[in-house]
Amino acid sequence: MSEADKQFNIHDYLREYLFPHFLCPGCGHGIALRALLWAIDELDIDKDRLAFVSGIGCSGRLGAYIDANTFHVTHGRPLAFATGLKLARPDLEVIVITGDGDCLAIGGNHLIHACRRNLNITCMMLNNEVYGMTGGQVSPTTSDDRFTTTTPYGNHEPVFDACALAEAAGAGLVGREITLQTPSLKDVLKQGLAHPGFSFIEVMSDCTEVFGRKNDLGSSAEMVLTQKASVRPDFLENAVDQPFRPHQIKTGILASNDRPEYAESYRNHIDAMKRDHGHA
Amino acid sequence: MAESMPSRAPRRTDKTPPAPAIQVAEKPVNVLVVGVGGQGVIMVSKVLATLCQRQGYQVKQSEVHGMAKRGGSVFSHVRFGETVYSPTIPLGEADVLVALEWAEGLRWLSYLKPETGIFIADTQQIVPPFACRNRQHGAGSGYARETVADVIAQVANCYAINAGQIAQELGNSKAGNTMLLGMMSTTLDFPADDWREAIRMFAPPKAIDINMQAFERGRDWVETHDPADLDPNQGGDQPAPIVEVMHEAEFELPVINRAWCKRCDICVKFCPERCLSLDEEQIAVLHAPEKCTLCRICERLCPDFAIDLKYKH
Ligand SMILES: Cc1ncc(C[n+]2csc(CCOP(=O)(O)OP(=O)(O)O)c2C)c(N)n1
Ligand code: SF4
Ligand code: SF4
Ligand code: SF4
Ligand SMILES: [Mg+2]
Repeated sequence: MSEADKQFNIHDYLREYLFPHFLCPGCGHGIALRALLWAIDELDIDKDRLAFVSGIGCSGRLGAYIDANTFHVTHGRPLAFATGLKLARPDLEVIVITGDGDCLAIGGNHLIHACRRNLNITCMMLNNEVYGMTGGQVSPTTSDDRFTTTTPYGNHEPVFDACALAEAAGAGLVGREITLQTPSLKDVLKQGLAHPGFSFIEVMSDCTEVFGRKNDLGSSAEMVLTQKASVRPDFLENAVDQPFRPHQIKTGILASNDRPEYAESYRNHIDAMKRDHGHA
Repeated sequence: MAESMPSRAPRRTDKTPPAPAIQVAEKPVNVLVVGVGGQGVIMVSKVLATLCQRQGYQVKQSEVHGMAKRGGSVFSHVRFGETVYSPTIPLGEADVLVALEWAEGLRWLSYLKPETGIFIADTQQIVPPFACRNRQHGAGSGYARETVADVIAQVANCYAINAGQIAQELGNSKAGNTMLLGMMSTTLDFPADDWREAIRMFAPPKAIDINMQAFERGRDWVETHDPADLDPNQGGDQPAPIVEVMHEAEFELPVINRAWCKRCDICVKFCPERCLSLDEEQIAVLHAPEKCTLCRICERLCPDFAIDLKYKH
């Protein structure tokens, strides 16, 4: 099929009988799901080879809506399940959908080790700064001074930079994008999917209904725009840090390395051991 | 061989100014063919290069079609003579500039020889999407506002006609190129039959008849008009007509799935043309379809997959 013949149709990838989906009006997670499916479509990955593993949360729930192999697992553990799956079935394209709470709080330990192992898994973390599903508790990425049900005086805990964490822990590719830049987000996800090691992609999503309301952040459209004003794309990386805008976040591909992919190096190692030590 | 290129046969009546004469002297003859991707610039220059070769000249042709697939500039230098060294034509050295698209023609005018250069142009405009101030499909633009009359005042010899439209009337707008070849054939004194044969070699088999007709129409135009004549087909004192905006309308208008819309207002706020709104039930509607440019932003940003622009093909 030529480029022109093949046009991405999101409905080819949805379990339509479950729609309308359960997300609140204007929830950024929906836009992120489109970008992910769009990236998959452009890479022409066979649906039968697609395996989504997602945890608990509004973000984790997204897996249910995708018409492919999907595993909805326990809170914080999608990376642990994905690790087993990828080791057993390296032929599958394993994609994890997780949230900031799922991935960095209860599941933070799994994230570090997934980055360290560098299995060929793509992890899309939807960061909305809050535990959306459970009504708006503070999360490791809640910004300074934001109100949540567990920070009635405003959050005072330092914020986790998930991308810096993933990079430090050795992830093969690290990227970040906001939902409003859907085509760029799709491209970042595409690079993540194509990368042979562990890819960690942070999507700056927004919880309009719970977090937005609690913090008076305006309509969904306004929240998305505010996000746009707070990012600094990677092509501006060398720009002077702006002292009066300490919250500016970098977007684009932020780090990559070519460390060996674990499933492959593990198999090679086993083969070598069998050969050298005469094990059957 | 040099002597076999005398000045063009005097086909004109007394009223007409002296015909431009192109001589192959010690310097090669330079023909620059320009247009945008998909128009046939390369085909035109291949016809010319083949013809010149068959007349026994050394020919050099070099082309650039970098952004052709995106509707960008395509140009081809054809140089022929006893001996040709450089494959490219220096500024101000083109004997003939053949433009398949008006704005591209204007862009290259400085390559024409100031005193004797011949400008042969199709006045049709093909506007790239990024030059459209109104992003509506098929809308006009402020692109290349120079009129044919403006250009006539600037160049030594100008033949500008709406070749695309005339060819369309013959049955295939693509044959506009061959009409320009017909016009060019009067400025280089090769036998008309040799031109026809070269065109036959490159025209698609099914379109040979139309191309032959277009070739004659081009020759006729030059024979019956002064270089300064304006094409009555298009009112030469007006900006050239826009025949095509490069982006094709490949999608149908957005359709909103009312059962999935959650009234979030994102599509309404982000539609660049402001053609969406929330109705009395607070559900998104396309209230101004005539303003929609099919940009697909609403489709991309709807968190509920409630908007679709159907692909036409
Ligand atoms: C073991 C366990 N602990 C706690 C919960 C309750 N719980 C459900 S979702 C969630 C947080 C989800 O937050 P996040 O991952 O950021 O997803 P979001 O809803 O914000 O997309 C929590 C704490 C649970 N389901 N299981
Ligand atoms: S609670 Fe927040 S994160 Fe969850 S669906 Fe609603 S807006 Fe989205
Ligand atoms: S973006 Fe989608 S859900 Fe929101 S108002 Fe528009 S159509 Fe409805
Ligand atoms: S495609 Fe959508 S966003 Fe774009 S102009 Fe049309 S209605 Fe507006
Ligand atoms: Mg969250």
